[in-house]
Amino acid sequence: MTKSFAVTGFLKDYYIYLVLIVLVALLASANLDQFPLFERGNFLYKRNIINILRVSAPILVICGAFTLLMVSGYIDLSVGSAMSLSAVVYAMLALNGVPFLPAFALTVLVGVLLGAINGFLVVRMRITPVIATLITLSLYKGIALLLVEDGTSAIKSGGGLKMPGWFNSYGRSGALLDLPASVWVAIAVTLALIVIQKRGVLGKYAAATGGNPTAAKLSGIKTGRVVFGLYVLVGISAALAGIARSSFMSLGDPLSGDGMELTAILVVLLGGTAFSGGEGKVQRSFIGALIIMCLTIGMLTIVPAYTQTLVIGAALLLAAATNHLVSRKGGRK
Amino acid sequence: MASSTQIPALEIDELTRDYPGVRAVDAVSFAIEPGTVHCLVGENGAGKSTLVKMITGALAPSAGSMRVNGKTHNPTNPQEARDNGIATLFQELHVVDELTVRENLTLGLEAKRFGFLIRSDLDDRVVKTLAAIEPSIDPAVRVSSLSVAQKQIVEIARAASSGASVIIMDEPTAALSEREVERLFEVIRRLKDNGVTVIYISHKLEEIFTLGDIVTVLRDGKHIATKPLVKVEGRPELIEMMIGRTVAHNYVPRPNPPGDVVLTARGLTNHLLKNVSFDIRKGEIVGFYGLVGAGKTEIARAIFAADSYDGEIIFKSQPVGHTPKDALAAGIALVPEERRTQGLFTAMSIRENIPVMNLPRMSKGGVFRADKEERAAHEFVSRLRIATDSIEKQTEKLSGGNQQKVVLAKCLFSQAELLLLDEPTRGVDVGAKTEIYDIIKSLADQDNTVAIFSSELEEVLGICDRIFLLYDGQLRAGIRNGDNVDTAQILDLVTGGSMQEDAA
Amino acid sequence: MTTLAVSPITARKHRRLSDQGFITVMVAVVAVLLFLLASVLVPNFFQLQNMINLVTNNWAVISLGVGVTFLLVSGNFDLSVGGNVALAGVLSVWLAQSTGGANTLSTGLGFPLPLALAGAMAGALAIGALNAFFVVRLGVPSIIVTLGTMMVARGLAQVITHGSQRNTNLPDGFGTLGNLTLFGTVKLPVVLMGMLLLVAVFIERRMLIGRVTYWVGANPVAATLSGIDRGRHVTRLYLFSAAIAGMVGILLASEFKSGFSNRGMLMEFDALVIALLGGVAIAGGFGSVIGMFFGAIILAVVTSAATGLVLSPDWQFILKAVAVFLAITAQTWALARRNR
Repeated sequence: MTKSFAVTGFLKDYYIYLVLIVLVALLASANLDQFPLFERGNFLYKRNIINILRVSAPILVICGAFTLLMVSGYIDLSVGSAMSLSAVVYAMLALNGVPFLPAFALTVLVGVLLGAINGFLVVRMRITPVIATLITLSLYKGIALLLVEDGTSAIKSGGGLKMPGWFNSYGRSGALLDLPASVWVAIAVTLALIVIQKRGVLGKYAAATGGNPTAAKLSGIKTGRVVFGLYVLVGISAALAGIARSSFMSLGDPLSGDGMELTAILVVLLGGTAFSGGEGKVQRSFIGALIIMCLTIGMLTIVPAYTQTLVIGAALLLAAATNHLVSRKGGRK
Repeated sequence: MASSTQIPALEIDELTRDYPGVRAVDAVSFAIEPGTVHCLVGENGAGKSTLVKMITGALAPSAGSMRVNGKTHNPTNPQEARDNGIATLFQELHVVDELTVRENLTLGLEAKRFGFLIRSDLDDRVVKTLAAIEPSIDPAVRVSSLSVAQKQIVEIARAASSGASVIIMDEPTAALSEREVERLFEVIRRLKDNGVTVIYISHKLEEIFTLGDIVTVLRDGKHIATKPLVKVEGRPELIEMMIGRTVAHNYVPRPNPPGDVVLTARGLTNHLLKNVSFDIRKGEIVGFYGLVGAGKTEIARAIFAADSYDGEIIFKSQPVGHTPKDALAAGIALVPEERRTQGLFTAMSIRENIPVMNLPRMSKGGVFRADKEERAAHEFVSRLRIATDSIEKQTEKLSGGNQQKVVLAKCLFSQAELLLLDEPTRGVDVGAKTEIYDIIKSLADQDNTVAIFSSELEEVLGICDRIFLLYDGQLRAGIRNGDNVDTAQILDLVTGGSMQEDAA
Repeated sequence: MTTLAVSPITARKHRRLSDQGFITVMVAVVAVLLFLLASVLVPNFFQLQNMINLVTNNWAVISLGVGVTFLLVSGNFDLSVGGNVALAGVLSVWLAQSTGGANTLSTGLGFPLPLALAGAMAGALAIGALNAFFVVRLGVPSIIVTLGTMMVARGLAQVITHGSQRNTNLPDGFGTLGNLTLFGTVKLPVVLMGMLLLVAVFIERRMLIGRVTYWVGANPVAATLSGIDRGRHVTRLYLFSAAIAGMVGILLASEFKSGFSNRGMLMEFDALVIALLGGVAIAGGFGSVIGMFFGAIILAVVTSAATGLVLSPDWQFILKAVAVFLAITAQTWALARRNR
């Protein structure tokens, strides 16, 4: 028993990196000529990598905060809707002539508000996290749809208004090393959260809240505040994801975040975070996100797009089951 | 008593706590000298845990006062008690498995700046404290990789480094191996050398004599004695103080002789039990007596197939099966230890609770027999004298005694031939207690077999025909009840003594 | 309601309504009040046809709500029903389509219709079995499992239809079931929904498995220690819910004579919403099918009134959110006051 534990312990810590390496190697050896997303035959060709990263910016920026929330034993199903709403708000601000920085800041502020509403429902109203965030999933989505005029599907140029030039450069044009700012923001946020998890009070208290809530409370930790703060953090990251997505697509689509909650759960579970709380690392979720994005985009080269839902669903079940089997603690029947 | 020139670490003065109908702690006064290991002993129900709850702020006293290091100690919650320097080591561990030892030691006390943890003397201090009491634990490892004993030591180190002057330990050795117990004792001695006072509660008298400086004995909520252990003349004197001269036992041998063996257990062994074997005969009331952690609940759950075990259990010449469902089908029913979480459907009515253990009887072609359910509810409410104005009353709202009767009714409705009752009268008032005993006796008179798992000596001596004595997962002896039963000897055996006793 | 179980053995005076009955009555009263309010505020709302439409337009979600309610009472989520509706519908079409069509999407397996429908049901039940396996055997939280199977089911539907739909080359009788009308105007699916509700209420109130569902949800530990095989029961409930989803999927496919991979989108969400509006508690052990039905009426009144007031259909999401929030806080508040 103990020996196999040591082996699984090692696998648990590092398998995720191996998976990414193997996956990239496989994709690199495949012939990608037919697929328009990839300009040249090799997956590792620079433009292809840039493409994958800028498409992935939303999940990359969300996965860190989402990990910390799940480590604390809570969940946010509204993250996709919050992302959509932020995308719409950001596009509206831009379309109506608000300059980049204020528009960016205001959208992030919206994210703070959306996260705070979740935190309020869960911490103060004591509504079960799943239900509370299902309520706001519907609420945020509804608001996003209402903000978009009837008869149009998204906020975009038209009717005398035109998106400013800077709007899509955030998510598309190379800012540094040819990667757009959205990717750099995702990387910066992830690095910041890695540090917060390792050295920050919030990171430690999140683990304590998820690992042993009674012990955390007995130690004088205000777990309610921790959870509230984490919801706000997820709200901010959803706003950043919305900005990245709307900028990449050059429009504010009220459905652009649909399904993001599933991808986020999948990525975090894949990274080895236990849904019972306490356990989990930001950097592993980040790698998990890269794997999922490589997999889904790479898959498009071999199989048609309509297989994606099935693969993600199956991956979610598989990740949940493996996670459970690996992290199961021994005990009574 | 020891010289009292020093200010006592903890002084308890006329402390009293009343529950409805019961005075759990009755004007108890004693003082605890600083830097000693002060043991608290007494039978179950003697008032130890109520006393400890008042000291730690979990319960408010009805009367009396306390002083810690000379200052008034009147905590209204556990946090205040901790602020006054009183830490408690609960039986349930309060460490975070996912954090490292060092992170656990500083949890809630961290030095922080702009939301980040910064290094401070605290980090060095906790590590030093830990090293002083248990150098073998690496502060950098995750707590999940430690043993239960090591986790306990982490908690002790945490209490010590947070400046606690008094640490209360309630049955800290319940889940430890012998070697681990020795290590824990070394830790406690080192704490003592550093001037920390330890209040040590244990049923294992051996531990008291090995470790303790001073012992306080409680009995029936009253303070019996506080004296240095060196002046206690061995186990017999301590036991005598704990139980008094007489244990009321009004056992009357029942007229019908026990029948054939219905249940045979051979070599039961699991996480707690060590090679336990016994027989139970038809029509008998047998008692399993032992103190906290002796293995009573484990035996009951093993017979009911609720836990896994090695060894075999044969009921009416058949192995019992692997699930409670199998056991129930074979004719065994269990009244579990925790009635609210394991026995009752508290959100449901009396009527809805009763039929659950006999589903075949409740269905006719899949249709639920509501008429039978209602009849059964009325029958059991009157037969067991459940005090309620309606069978529709939500069981949540019943008193403890009546809740227990509903659980009992569930089992009786199953028409089981062997009833396992785990702590059947815990938290039950005196009147209901007597009624439950009467029910048990009449069941046995009707040739049912009853096994009672109890930590109350009076209970097993009052009603059981035979008593199995348990200590630390082992069956130490089986005795036949009667006038010649030596209660001191029983207590000696269940507290780890080694006197020999004839097997029944 | 428990009053259904009255037997003549004892006269019972001053019998207090159970919490369960209390909440159900409360939900029904709210539904009626909302309907009256809407009748006053919204022009042309108070019409017989409109009242009938409130129920008949929502037959699919109400049917799914039955399985979802039973599972919630037992303490488990089922978010896979919407995807399962799509899967069953697409399967029934694909299996029934004749072989040798002009292109892939018009070529099926050419099964006889009954066999095709049986195959579709089998597919739906397989999803239910998958739910049960992960929840019961592996102990993975039901919310995660059924989110996964929701995608697996819809994903399979998308694979079969190449992300779009199949609607050609179908046998003649394929559209019969979904378009059949009985008693003049009532569609067969609506009749089936009515029958399902009756059966469900009977199971819940009168059958042993109904009561077992409450025991399992109210206290899983006590249920196991009382000899109930919890895993088997939860498995049965997942299969039951999947069977309903399969039926709904087949009927919808028949009604539109097409297998559309996006059909049933968000139905799992609506089924959960009407159950919550109807007073079903996600903690388990509490709730009723009748309550869920009135919850569906509440939602239907609110959304159709909103449409009547010329609000954009996008309002439905906000209305649902507000309704669920109010329902949950009102229930908590009412029960706390009542049991003070």
